[in-house]
Amino acid sequence: MTERILSCSEALAEALAEEMERDETIFILGEDITAHDGIFGQFKGLHKRFPGKVIDSPISETCIIGAGVGAALTGMRPLVDMHFADFFTTAMDEIVNQTAKIHYMFGGQAKIPLVIWAPDGGGLSAAAHHSQSLESWFIHTPGLKVVVPSEPADVKGLIKTAIRDDDPVIFFQHKKLFAQTGPVPEKEYLIPLGKGDIKRQGTDITLVTYSRMTYLSLEAADQLAKEGIEVEVIDLRTLKPLDFDLIAESVKKTFHVLIVHEACLTGGFGAEIAARIGEELFDYLDAPVVRVGAKDTPIPFSPVLENFVLPQTDDIVEGVKGVLNR
Amino acid sequence: MIELKIPKLGLTMESAKLLSWQFASGDEVKKEETIFVIETDKVTFEVSSPADGIIHPIAKTGETYDVDQTVGYLAENREVYENLLKTYPAEMETHERIDETKEEVVTKREETSPGPAESEKRITASPLARSMASSHGLNLAEIKGTGPGGRIIREDILETLKELEMVGKEKEFLPKAVDKDFLGKEPLETIPITGIRRVIHDNMYMSLSQTAQLTLHTEAKGEAFVDFRDRLNKRLVKEEIKFSYNVILVKIVATALRMHPKINASIEGDEIKIWQQIHIGVAMESEDALVVPVIRNPDLKSLNEINRDLNELIIKTRENKLLPDDLANGTFTISNLGFADVDYFTPILRPPESAILGVGRIIRKPGIKNGHVIPEAMIGLSLTFDHRIIDGAPGARFLKTVKEMIEAPVLMIV
Repeated sequence: MTERILSCSEALAEALAEEMERDETIFILGEDITAHDGIFGQFKGLHKRFPGKVIDSPISETCIIGAGVGAALTGMRPLVDMHFADFFTTAMDEIVNQTAKIHYMFGGQAKIPLVIWAPDGGGLSAAAHHSQSLESWFIHTPGLKVVVPSEPADVKGLIKTAIRDDDPVIFFQHKKLFAQTGPVPEKEYLIPLGKGDIKRQGTDITLVTYSRMTYLSLEAADQLAKEGIEVEVIDLRTLKPLDFDLIAESVKKTFHVLIVHEACLTGGFGAEIAARIGEELFDYLDAPVVRVGAKDTPIPFSPVLENFVLPQTDDIVEGVKGVLNR
Repeated sequence: MIELKIPKLGLTMESAKLLSWQFASGDEVKKEETIFVIETDKVTFEVSSPADGIIHPIAKTGETYDVDQTVGYLAENREVYENLLKTYPAEMETHERIDETKEEVVTKREETSPGPAESEKRITASPLARSMASSHGLNLAEIKGTGPGGRIIREDILETLKELEMVGKEKEFLPKAVDKDFLGKEPLETIPITGIRRVIHDNMYMSLSQTAQLTLHTEAKGEAFVDFRDRLNKRLVKEEIKFSYNVILVKIVATALRMHPKINASIEGDEIKIWQQIHIGVAMESEDALVVPVIRNPDLKSLNEINRDLNELIIKTRENKLLPDDLANGTFTISNLGFADVDYFTPILRPPESAILGVGRIIRKPGIKNGHVIPEAMIGLSLTFDHRIIDGAPGARFLKTVKEMIEAPVLMIV
């Protein structure tokens, strides 16, 4: 299979174009998306190619999600752009009480094939209102699927599956990864939800991560390899449904686990993974499961402070060594 | 909560020495797992757990305890266990060792974080290390942890297993490792004299140092004996019963003892006790030592019954399941070394018994009949007895009776 190098933005735009070509019920709704092709250029060329299918909305997330749910209920397959994941707060009722529950409240008679697309994460000195990682809120809401890809090829394969899924999917992309490039296959492909990916094979410790932390973890793994520590890096790609089998298989081989996410530590998804490992893989653990996450504080504007709060490669290296008692 | 007590393994048993605990306090044990090992003057016995639970040993190893004395407790859950810890602080030796390692752990912790001290008795080990130790039968209390705060981790278990493997390897004799011109001597293996070996060691020494042993040898014609057994076994083919020579020998000796009661005797203090019952021990080789299980009253039993009893004892010996009652109160012993091509030997008495018959192999030898040399099956017999109470002549007469009955088994019906 031949491949090209694309950025995450390009991979997303290509995937959306392919899907919109295939299915005329797909459309995109968001703030300022025709004039600027999306804030990260992620919808580049789409509004010219599919006139009327890329729609600017009022500056109201309540309206955006509400319109998306309504359209989905009537047979469309909308992708709504949250602009920044931080703005979820103004649309929580539409997401948590409507989007997630309609299928269940109406006894399965209605389906919501809605993709809520949201750039998240920090590292851009964008301060507390534009830097959050909020995946745990939606993982904790039954009825939603949550996708958190890292590399361009995964973005493309997963967004296509998310669009075709009849359930609502929260699709996060990390702001710092839009320019991230990587090989993307020429031919069409899909990546199923709920399947993680081993980004690096290793024997000494299982490092479970997702989104941007995958790249930092791979950097850390490179550094640790020089010291003779072989880290297996699992990129979960989807958090709900969770590919626990992949984690289990790896832990049974390495007996050590470090979980890394950018979201703050307390109540983060790492706690859920750690708990399941404790319950299901207790006898395979040679050391306590350790988590690396952001400090429990709003993300600071100061780059120095932001770097202090968010997990860095060194924190991951240290975390691995802590688990391995090196 | 269940009290773990010294079991009464036999009528005569009053106490036992606690040899070892297989678990440390706080370990989880399964029903029927061996939890401690005791030693009576005759056997070592593995005591198994009456139920699933958390064990809390309180008795020290190496000490002797009365039957029914409580040596530990089994808690059904952690809560009960924690209460047990408070009520019955352990005294046992292994605990002291655990305490030492624990102290290390505690001090190390204090350096980093002055957190509250945990339960003093707990060994820290990773779940993986625990499950590995349990599947390899390793005692965590004996393993040094190199993980954080002295926690036992997978590495430590692997290291221990490697060491154990090395110990096994040292036992092999490697010619290349020995210098041909070396003048000294080095042990290939050092085995402590404990348990059943200690019992045999003490009894044999006591026997030869405190009795006056005399051994007489004679030879019995074996033709009729062999023929007798063959004919019996042919008739018993259908029942799938096969008598060994020992079955017939037990019956012969028992019958002979009835005719010579003074051989069936012991010295007790200043008195000689002539025993009413005849209990004949048959020497057997168990896994690692000599054992002599006893057939009760063979003089009153048929060959069939003796055969059944003997087979039971053989199976128990093989499976290491002999109980003190199987070994107690013998009055005479038969030791048969015919299987190893031995003709004669000087068996050692097993006090308080006063006689033991050594039996050799059955082998054809040249004999004289009507002035001609003919091949004749012969059996070597060696009788050792305690000359303090049995004189040479009565001893010889008893041996002659045995010899005559072997040569003509029909005499057993007397």
